[in-house]
This record gives sequence, structure tokens and C-alpha cells, in this order.
Amino acid sequence: MHKIADVEIQHDIMVANRKLARQNQRIMDQKEVFSVDVLGAIGSGKTSLIEKLIDHMDQKIGVIAGDVISKYDAGRFESHNVPVVGLNTGKECHLDAHLVEHALHDLPLEEIDLLFIENVGNLICPVDFDLGSHLRMVVISVSEGDDTVEKHPLIFQDADLVVINKVDIADAVGASVEKMVDDVKQLNPDVQVILSSLKLGKGLDEIITAIESYIGKK
Amino acid sequence: MHELSMAQAIVDTVLDAAKKNDAQEILEVTVEVGKLTMLNPEQLKFLMDIITEDTLLENAELIIEEIAVEIKCSSCDFKGKASTEGSDHYLTIVKCPECGERNVEITKGRECNVKNIRIEKVDEDA
Ligand SMILES: Nc1nc2c(ncn2[C@@H]2O[C@H](COP(=O)(O)OP(=O)(O)O)[C@@H](O)[C@H]2O)c(=O)[nH]1
Ligand SMILES: [Mg+2]
Ligand SMILES: [Zn+2]
Ligand SMILES: [Zn+2]
Ligand SMILES: [Zn+2]
Repeated sequence: MHKIADVEIQHDIMVANRKLARQNQRIMDQKEVFSVDVLGAIGSGKTSLIEKLIDHMDQKIGVIAGDVISKYDAGRFESHNVPVVGLNTGKECHLDAHLVEHALHDLPLEEIDLLFIENVGNLICPVDFDLGSHLRMVVISVSEGDDTVEKHPLIFQDADLVVINKVDIADAVGASVEKMVDDVKQLNPDVQVILSSLKLGKGLDEIITAIESYIGKK
Repeated sequence: MHELSMAQAIVDTVLDAAKKNDAQEILEVTVEVGKLTMLNPEQLKFLMDIITEDTLLENAELIIEEIAVEIKCSSCDFKGKASTEGSDHYLTIVKCPECGERNVEITKGRECNVKNIRIEKVDEDA
């Protein structure tokens, strides 16, 4: 005979990821590594910014290159002589805590004070997946259009630090930087917003100061 | 946006539980999906249909229960259902219904919870 049974499962896949993320943070805390998740659309300047930070910050830096084209980005980071792990996300639209856990095992954490995690170029999906980083930095650029903030509210509500890059070409692409800043402030009144042009070197010092103050607060 | 990997994670979770409970067939699966996740329930259902072919889940009915957004307001201490606006769920703007503040802590609405399953198994007492 057969019978029908109801089985309670209550397994939240999002919570499973968050648990792994907390575990990642514990691993990094033990090794005294401060980590920054760098989010933003493809081409906003994530890799360029991390490269500049490697060159201008005093910390011993490591990088997890997680964008879909991570091989190419990883090569760019390696040329700055820092430890790099490229994550092959395939067609995946975001990094998750499990992928990052693997990368942490492959990095010489004892030799790293500050770890940048370049997320997949996407302003939507990474919202669902905590990685365990200490700081979430969103990098957008004026060339994505000045409505990019209002189109992706959640990622800005979650952000600790927002960089609006490529202000050098704002006029050329007809984007209002003020509108972008206002939109961020509406969603997340307390977040620090920094305008930058990595091309001209503008805003870099401010970004470094902001990251260092977060490291200090930890 | 990542419905396929989520569908796969749901299927793995369900098959694992089914095995532990000696299920011969899975009749029903209930999944709770928060309104703020980047998951489209319709697409999730569609993909589950495809990837469960030739598994114990092949004929199961998938029930998706949407979970409303709940918040804790940072300025007025309101706790409960948020007011949400936006043309589709990727664009949801979450606000406090009391004071209109957007600076809120989201306490519900981000889950993808495999809640329970209904299975058919051999009745050992019979
Ligand atoms: N005009 C301008 N171009 C920039 C700026 N920052 C980065 N870029 C260019 O934007 C392109 C994409 O940058 P990249 O760092 O690869 O973006 P990612 O996809 O976010 O990692 C590259 O060609 C950069 O040289 C900037 O401030 N101004
Ligand atoms: Mg890049
Ligand atoms: Zn693994
Ligand atoms: Zn996705
Ligand atoms: Zn309120």
C-alpha cells in the first residue's frame, strides 16, 4: 500500500547563501583581511578602479576577478603584481558565496590586507547574493545613462559606497550627474557618493579615504 | 535573472528530502519566493518543468507562494508590511507606509524557501 505524506523542508536557498557568506567573513576576519565587493554594470570602470587602487593604496592587496570575462580582467590585475584568482562564472549572472569560498582557499590570505572582489557586471542579480564582504561598493558611470540609478533601486539601497565614474564625458553623453546623485540619496540618504573620472585621476583620493575609514571602523 | 541556478538548487533540495523520506513519487512542492528577489515565478516554474524531466519530480505540481515585503523603518520605528511601488518587480522601490522614508531595513521579501513537499511512499503499517 501507498500513503501520502507531507514533509516539512523549510530550506531557504537565499539563507544558505547568507550563511556561507558569514562563514567567508569569518575566514577573512581570522586572517585580518578586509574585503570590498565591487559591483556595477559592464564597462562602468570596476577593473580600472581596482587597478588604480592597487597602485595608490599602501595596503597589501589581493583580487578575486569574478566578471564573466574574468580571464581578461585577471590578466590586467596580475600585471600589477598582486595575487589574483579568476573565477569562472560561465554564463552565471552573479557571484555567490560558494564561489568566493573557493577563491578564498586559492589566495595567500596571510599576505593580503585588502581584498577586492570584482563582481559580474550586472546591477540586478548580485543583489540576491551576499558574498561576505565587509563593504559593498557600487561603481556606475555616466555612460549608462542618468536613469540607471532609478532603474536599479535595490542595489543602491544595499550599497555602502557609491562611485559615479566617467564624469569627464557626462556632457558628451548628455547625462546629468546631479540627477544621479539625487537619485542615490533618495534611495539611501546616508550613503557616501563620490564622483570620479579615473581617466583624469579625479575622485581617487576620496575613494581611498572612504575605504580606509571603513577599514578603520571595523 | 538566475532562475535556472535557483531552479536547480530547489530541485536538489527537494530530491534530497524525498530520498531521505523514501518517497516513491513527489506530488507537490511548495516554494516561497520573496517579492524582492530577482526571480520571476513564471520563469522559475517553466525551468523547473524542464529540468525535472525523468526525475521523481516529473509529475509534481509546483506551488509558488509570493512573500510580501516587510520592513523596519529607520526613522519612525514602523515594523510591518512595506509600501512598494514600481512598474515591475526588478524596479520595486520600498518605502515606509507611515512616514514615506526609503531608508528602511528589509526584514522579509528576499527568500527563496523550499517550504514543504507532498510525497507518496510505501505504507509500512499497511
Ligand atoms: N572616459 C572615461 N573612460 C573610462 C573611465 N574609467 C574607465 N574608463 C574606460 O571604460 C572602459 C571600461 O572600463 P573597465 O574598467 O574595463 O570596466 P569594468 O567592465 O567595469 O571592469 C575602459 O575602456 C576604460 O578605459 C573614466 O573615468 N572616463
Ligand atoms: Mg572588469
Ligand atoms: Zn564547492
Ligand atoms: Zn541572476
Ligand atoms: Zn517610517
